[in-house]
Amino acid sequence: MRVAVCAPQVPFVRGGAELMTDDLVAALRARGHEAELVTMPFKWYPGTRVLDQAFLWRLVDLTESDGRPIDRVVATKFPAYCVRHPNKVAWVLHQFRQAYDYDRTELGQFSDSPADRATRRAVERLDAVALGEARRVFATSRNVADRLKRFNGIDAELLPHPPQALSYRTADSEGFVLSVNRLDRAKRIDLLIEAAQRESGLRVVITGEGPDRERLEALARGLDGRVQFAGRVDDERLADLYARCLAVYYAPVDEDFGMVPYEAFLSGMPVVTTTDAGGPLEIVEDRETGVVVAPDAAEIARACAYLGAHAGEAEAWGRAGRGIAERVTWDACVDALLS
Amino acid sequence: MKVAYYSPLPPSRSGIADYSALLLPALRRHLDVVVAEQGKRPPAADVALYHVGNDPDAHGWIVDALHERPGVVVLHEYVLHHLIAGITIGRGNGRAYLDAMERELGVAGRLLGLGVLDNLLPLLWETQPERFPLAGTVLDDARGLIVHSHYVGERARTAGYEGPLWQIPHPAWPMHDVVPAPDVSGAPLVGCFGYLNMNKRIPELLEAFASFRRERPDARLLLAGGVGERFDIERRLERLGLTEGVQRLDYVPEERLWSLMAACDVLVNLRYPTMGETSGSVIRALSLGKALVVSDVGWFAELPEHVVLKVPVDEFEVQTLTAALGFAAEHAGTLGAAARAYVEREHALDRVAADYAAALETAAGARTVDDAVLYRIAEAAAEVGIDDAAALARAARESGIVT
Repeated sequence: MRVAVCAPQVPFVRGGAELMTDDLVAALRARGHEAELVTMPFKWYPGTRVLDQAFLWRLVDLTESDGRPIDRVVATKFPAYCVRHPNKVAWVLHQFRQAYDYDRTELGQFSDSPADRATRRAVERLDAVALGEARRVFATSRNVADRLKRFNGIDAELLPHPPQALSYRTADSEGFVLSVNRLDRAKRIDLLIEAAQRESGLRVVITGEGPDRERLEALARGLDGRVQFAGRVDDERLADLYARCLAVYYAPVDEDFGMVPYEAFLSGMPVVTTTDAGGPLEIVEDRETGVVVAPDAAEIARACAYLGAHAGEAEAWGRAGRGIAERVTWDACVDALLS
Repeated sequence: MKVAYYSPLPPSRSGIADYSALLLPALRRHLDVVVAEQGKRPPAADVALYHVGNDPDAHGWIVDALHERPGVVVLHEYVLHHLIAGITIGRGNGRAYLDAMERELGVAGRLLGLGVLDNLLPLLWETQPERFPLAGTVLDDARGLIVHSHYVGERARTAGYEGPLWQIPHPAWPMHDVVPAPDVSGAPLVGCFGYLNMNKRIPELLEAFASFRRERPDARLLLAGGVGERFDIERRLERLGLTEGVQRLDYVPEERLWSLMAACDVLVNLRYPTMGETSGSVIRALSLGKALVVSDVGWFAELPEHVVLKVPVDEFEVQTLTAALGFAAEHAGTLGAAARAYVEREHALDRVAADYAAALETAAGARTVDDAVLYRIAEAAAEVGIDDAAALARAARESGIVT
């Protein structure tokens, strides 16, 4: 089958979504399909620009390429799923959240002006049309599926995807708590640093880059090097950090899916998350596969200290997580998307 | 975003006043709403919302405001002849009435209007308003249209309305514990609530009930509501031998209305001809989980088959209605459960308020947004020599990017 995987691209930004689409293309090719990533830059501001960008996707003709038909389109994000194709499948990583759950929060982008309100409604209408014409709609997490239902009345099937392929392994613990995330405000890495301020025995390694780095580094000053910023790390280094940590911290605000808990589990590590983290809560269960606490630095500090003092439990919870993560495979994903 | 809200409100006794009393608090959770008052300066707002019904006393000032400042119209019923006559002839402006008739039917309409003004023809709003709805005068100033039924939406389109249109269900009242009225009874007790006139098919209901009661002598019919002029209900009851089996009540206040409806086993809400109206009484009945019999017309016909029993308006109407009363009494539990589930799902107040917010936000800002997007599309197209910007605009509209 010839499959076009459609995803938007934010130039110079690379994260979980990009890894996922690359892996999907690789998984399709590994199973004998012709697969290609089709992408376009996405800039969603200012004002009504978001609609122009969606319209670009609308104009793209993916019915065939070089005289041969494209059998299936798999689109993962707004506005890529606005592309037209008779056999379009939407595998929704997330919608344009500024128009939905982020609206009227500090993460939103639309003001109360009539033009902004109408732009937001246009995104809503567009989603109804674009997702309504898909032959199937999948969501990568229950959280994303719930939003599709709540805001758009769309029933999506749940289809999580495996995390990136690293050489997951276990090793002797070095006792630090690991954060793997883009450094932006919505990821709430500041809560972990504040936890380190409260818990003098807590050591933290933070990977990733992002616009919040400067603020986070300022917050970590005066902690005698207990908080290290590792920046962007390569796959081997990341697998090593996963293997040697005590636990993985992952507590964004109402995250869509989050590959990090899966990666932690495949490394046999428990996850510390918060009650409002969204998608991660679908697999991180308190005292089963990690610790779930209120989004509060003191609570996070206590959770990390507990794991440090109870290595046996931490190990057992990480092991239980691995069992869950291993059940999510590319075979199952490809079968569902192409069926 | 601020909305100027034009509607009759309690203590005004009308279904639309009740509707707005229900909707307003829920709508205020989404938008900044300021209620316009008759005789006062129109409130400043980003968009105005006009609730339009057929009563000139309740809605005349609202249509005046609409003419001054076009906005979003909620068309609670399609036939507005009585309203238009009231705000034209009723104010001594026969020429405006002729204009409205001409807009609807061309020269023939104007001539008919002249016949009415000269007392050569009966008053059309009393004798056959459904043939001359006169909604065009209102539709001309609507920058957006909210309807409750597919039926009214279709009629508006047929009349030439081309603007944005939203179909939003009539909201249901949040249910509270309703104690059935202890002072009415019957086995079964059939209820019919609202203004009693020919249009509500009361003669047909009485005939059918008389027939039904021959099989079920303990059955009682409760008729609650004012009686229309020239409708001698007492004489009809006597003629049908129903003086024993029918209990009559005049207008009943809201709480009493709920408890009386709750006491009934079967409720009946018939209509013909339809003016394209919805019925708050029907929504109340469904919310209470009552077996309900309606006429198979207009909005009523759009209610799901498994939720209400629909009686076609034809030569077998009375016989069908008699059978429907029996079936409804027999299956009141099943029908009632389906009714309640349906109304909770489709007519939830929060959902209706959210739909209103979406419509109003779109109406207030869509033109600015559409212009900006279409301008950039046309500009980019022109720069590469594509001169059929209209085709691009159509594609943008089809995908929902512009309205």
